[in-house]
Amino acid sequence: MDMGNNKRFLPEGKYLMMGNIAMSEGALAAGLNFFGGYPITPSTEVIEHLAVRLPQIGGVCMQMEDELASINAVIGASLVGAKAMTATSGPGICLMTETISMAANLEIPFVFCDVQRNGPGTGYVTEPHHNDIGLMRFAGNGEFQVITLAPMSCQELYDLTLVAFNFAETYRCPVFIMSDAYLGHLHEVVKIPSKEKLEKMVIEREIPEDITGKFSYKDESTGKYIIPKPPIMGTDYCPGMFLSQPHSLEGMPTPKPQLFTEMMIKKITSNIDKIALTDTYKLDDAEIIIIAYGLPVRASYRAVDLARKEGIKVGIFRLITIWPFPDEKVKEAVKDAKVVIVPELNYTGVIAEQVERVTDLNTPIIRIPNVCEIHHPNDILKVIKGVAK
Amino acid sequence: MSGIGPMYPNEKPENPYVLVSYAGHLLGNYSSRLCAGCGYGIIGHIFTRLFEDEKLDPKLYPLVLGIGCYSQMLLTVHYATQKVLSLHGRAPALATGMKMANPLMKPIIFTGDGDCLGIGGNHFIHTCRRNLDCIILIFNNSIYAMTGGQAAPTTLFGAKSTTTPYKMFENRSDGVKLALAAGATYVARTTVAHPRTFMKYFRKALKHKGTSVIELITPCVTYFGSKNLNNLGSEYLGFKGEKMDTAGKMIDWIKRNSVRINQAKFMNEEELFNKYILGEFRYAPDQPEYSEEYAKIQKIAQGDR
Repeated sequence: MDMGNNKRFLPEGKYLMMGNIAMSEGALAAGLNFFGGYPITPSTEVIEHLAVRLPQIGGVCMQMEDELASINAVIGASLVGAKAMTATSGPGICLMTETISMAANLEIPFVFCDVQRNGPGTGYVTEPHHNDIGLMRFAGNGEFQVITLAPMSCQELYDLTLVAFNFAETYRCPVFIMSDAYLGHLHEVVKIPSKEKLEKMVIEREIPEDITGKFSYKDESTGKYIIPKPPIMGTDYCPGMFLSQPHSLEGMPTPKPQLFTEMMIKKITSNIDKIALTDTYKLDDAEIIIIAYGLPVRASYRAVDLARKEGIKVGIFRLITIWPFPDEKVKEAVKDAKVVIVPELNYTGVIAEQVERVTDLNTPIIRIPNVCEIHHPNDILKVIKGVAK
Repeated sequence: MSGIGPMYPNEKPENPYVLVSYAGHLLGNYSSRLCAGCGYGIIGHIFTRLFEDEKLDPKLYPLVLGIGCYSQMLLTVHYATQKVLSLHGRAPALATGMKMANPLMKPIIFTGDGDCLGIGGNHFIHTCRRNLDCIILIFNNSIYAMTGGQAAPTTLFGAKSTTTPYKMFENRSDGVKLALAAGATYVARTTVAHPRTFMKYFRKALKHKGTSVIELITPCVTYFGSKNLNNLGSEYLGFKGEKMDTAGKMIDWIKRNSVRINQAKFMNEEELFNKYILGEFRYAPDQPEYSEEYAKIQKIAQGDR
């Protein structure tokens, strides 16, 4: 690939890119300057690509000794003001969980790309299987919320990585990008916008202008909880002590974590309108609704087009943010539905369970579980036709 | 940290360094949460003293701590330091990220024996291998004291702990030998019974560019001392000994159980069994340092070779 100038942004234009590389370029555009990783199929291209690109822009790409070290280095880099990320697969997350939990407690922003593969155990390493969805929500001890974004194409891998970094900066929590072995290795055309346009979109890490006050989680005028800008070690904007212990509104360690736990949950759930990204397709008059995320959306689009030709009223409600699960939005979308279809790339149907939780008991929910095999539009079309009869 | 430990009652601290410790700065008096007879108070105090004397910039010398009794040393260290309490054993990895993201920094890493040589052994080896510019202090009290006296990788042969109630029968791991094999460029060992030597080593480490590893033998009276006799291990041969249940006895034992490096050259392996060898083992100031080497890589990548 032609790198053009040795700068953070690729020149405006269209590129044929692999998913993993599109994701890496998106991260660079978002201001990534530290990557700590450990090679694991199918995410290896990310570290390979960033090992070339990051030194060019003055950043650091480190291959650490294991996943535990890579995530800790990422946290360390984020603490001193770098925009940091790591990429791994299911077995890697399992090793990283303790630090994800610590980062959530210290409210250190970082981005985490999970290129999923089949499991459990070593599994079938080169096949897509959305079996880490639960892990991406519940990884780590303790109660906290994370954000997980599910792109469906290389273009979205680029765009949503940028969004993920912005979410991490704003809400100071771990943000996951849910990729998979198929998407990571898919080659597609990615349209890269101009440098000026990208610069406007990115939230940079900077020290707030007014740092005279104490480092506090409390808004002085209203007394309510706010999310302060991430502190940077080695500057004056630093609380002096980072303990992964519950803290009070004043930022001091507290033995009574009730309020702290509430803050950890509410900082995400109260902003769910801004965080929960969704998309719809021919949903206005739909009686049959497909709820999908990630790769199965692509097959669903085709299936809907084919079904519409035969006069079946079917539409798609697409989840781009899967965690936190947008309860209200899904409830609103499926309230008039006769049937809900949930095609998923896993057998358990993690998201189908969530849909079941929020929908009316009378609405039947049909799952189309596929393991390690992408849905063919006909698979979905067959189900649509069967229901429409 | 909830609550503050015991303080000297109505006693005006004569030592000016007390007032620059974290608790001293807050309360105007010395305070610590460590047991009576613990060696960590000495280490924390020496660190504070050096930090003040050398006028170190807290922004450039961040403190990274692992998990162990020494995490409570936060109250004893200099109030101006910027500190991170990382996870058990992961302090060197976290410091690697900090150093690489801001190469001006020189992280000072506090780790314990179980922390650094047990759970975090891998991170320790690879930090030494990279010769990353940082200082790793290993506090070796031969036991997991924070959890109540379990066997550590450094527990001496024949010693008792709550998980080796009869005797320790595993070989101990040697932090200094490990650091030397992994490629750390300044390696030294001393004890809290020799505080001035520690100050000398620490000053040298501050000026050294590369990984400095200083192992400190420190007494744990509460767990190690109260379980073991001062003729450690030889009670199985029928010798009787005294319980090491006070700081004095413990410090005395540490001194008796240590051998200077130049003395050790003339001793055979049998004589050195269960002994601590003290001294400077390696000082190689001209070895390539990781962050400097990476800066060269960045220049190559940017096209000006």
